[in-house]
Amino acid sequence: MARSGRTGQRGSRRSPKRLVLGVFIFAFAALIIAQSAPQIRGAFDPVRTSVGDRLGSGERISLWSRISGQAAKDRRIHELEAEVRDLSRYKAAAISMAERLESYEELLNLMGEPPPRGVTARITSESEGPFAQTLLANAGRAQGVEPGSVAMNEGGLVGRVIQLGEHSSRILMVTDFNSRVPVIGEVSGVHAILHGGNTNSGTLTDMPERSDFVEGERILTSSEGGAFPRGLIVGEVRKASGDWRVKYAMSEGSAGYVQLIPPPVIPEPLPAPDVPAGDETSPAASPTQGARQ
Amino acid sequence: MAGTFDFRRKQGPWSKSGPTIRLILGSTLIAAVGLFGLTRNDIFGLSFAWPHAALWGAVGWGRVGLSIRPMLVLIVFGVMQDVIFHAPFGCFEVVNLLTYAGSTAIASQFDVMSEPLIAITSSVLLFAGAFLLLWLMASTLEDHAVRILPLIAAMLTTGLLYALIHRAFDLGRRPGETPGQAA
Repeated sequence: MARSGRTGQRGSRRSPKRLVLGVFIFAFAALIIAQSAPQIRGAFDPVRTSVGDRLGSGERISLWSRISGQAAKDRRIHELEAEVRDLSRYKAAAISMAERLESYEELLNLMGEPPPRGVTARITSESEGPFAQTLLANAGRAQGVEPGSVAMNEGGLVGRVIQLGEHSSRILMVTDFNSRVPVIGEVSGVHAILHGGNTNSGTLTDMPERSDFVEGERILTSSEGGAFPRGLIVGEVRKASGDWRVKYAMSEGSAGYVQLIPPPVIPEPLPAPDVPAGDETSPAASPTQGARQ
Repeated sequence: MAGTFDFRRKQGPWSKSGPTIRLILGSTLIAAVGLFGLTRNDIFGLSFAWPHAALWGAVGWGRVGLSIRPMLVLIVFGVMQDVIFHAPFGCFEVVNLLTYAGSTAIASQFDVMSEPLIAITSSVLLFAGAFLLLWLMASTLEDHAVRILPLIAAMLTTGLLYALIHRAFDLGRRPGETPGQAA
């Protein structure tokens, strides 16, 4: 069974290949440790994005498809599918906002603005690995995707773009352990933070002490922090073993496409004009007097 | 696994092929499985774990001893896996190379070619070790204990499929044989 004798012979003439293997393993282990520094890890981002671009934009039209006319039909089908997805998103948004809109209209006579149009992209890669839960979509900077764009599918919020290439975007899913989304209950109006957990449901934390969600109500993004626009559907809330958990709405939409919506832009506050300090000779008080300097 | 060399003696096209052809075919198989794994892994609404195909090469190619070319191929696959799984660079390379090193170490100590029990046990141990290492690295680098169930599912898929297609990762040599001797 055991290969006795052979080992002794080999031990005496150690192969340089063993040294090479050792060097490789040591080098890659050192590389992993070196990447604990964000600056070094960031240095590899261009490599990731360029490889992601190649993986992401994999939709090549073959010569035979061009000759047979199949490519044009496929393109048309893709266009129509994209249109259907757009329309279903508007339908979901309309249902979500209908009640609130009515009361707004009555109170303020104000019409809400339609959600901004984004870029629809196909998911080219889903990694179910032990590391970050991410998706790779086949649209990037060239298609108008912006850094930090919000990814939605037919069901609801999918995640946020964390890495942007020319033709691909890496989306950190809301299911990821490190994902944190500020949310609000649609009916209760309770604010909370949604934690991902690599499962089908996320946990709600940081709620006000004397407030509670309504079982089964929809959970929407609250726009706090400015990373997500307000009112995107995240899921439905359920109480499970004392915790409020959100069943993600995105799992209901599984056509393999996402819409990448530009992130909300919060304008920086304008600096207050300089006020001459201690100018006692000034005849009248300036309108900006008392403003922060 | 034990009958690998009996299989060779049948003198089919596969048995006549040399290590280079076998390495290329094995790599192609790994790449094809890996690329399919990028797409959605569900059929009729049932999602299933996708195998870590590079480990097939690490276990299978290691059984004939150390060689530079399989190491380089495993490094290339490791880089691709790092990008796909959004892992820090080096993680999958280390896992693949350590599995390869483990496979060669076992092959140098035991007769994995003609002892089925050792062949099966060593493969199971190597896959289990690889996924344990992956879990440890992911948990350490992600700052939290990552879910173990998907990894176990992926390990089972990897191991079961390897049992079916392990011959594709046999380089056609006995441990210690040089390429010239094998031909």
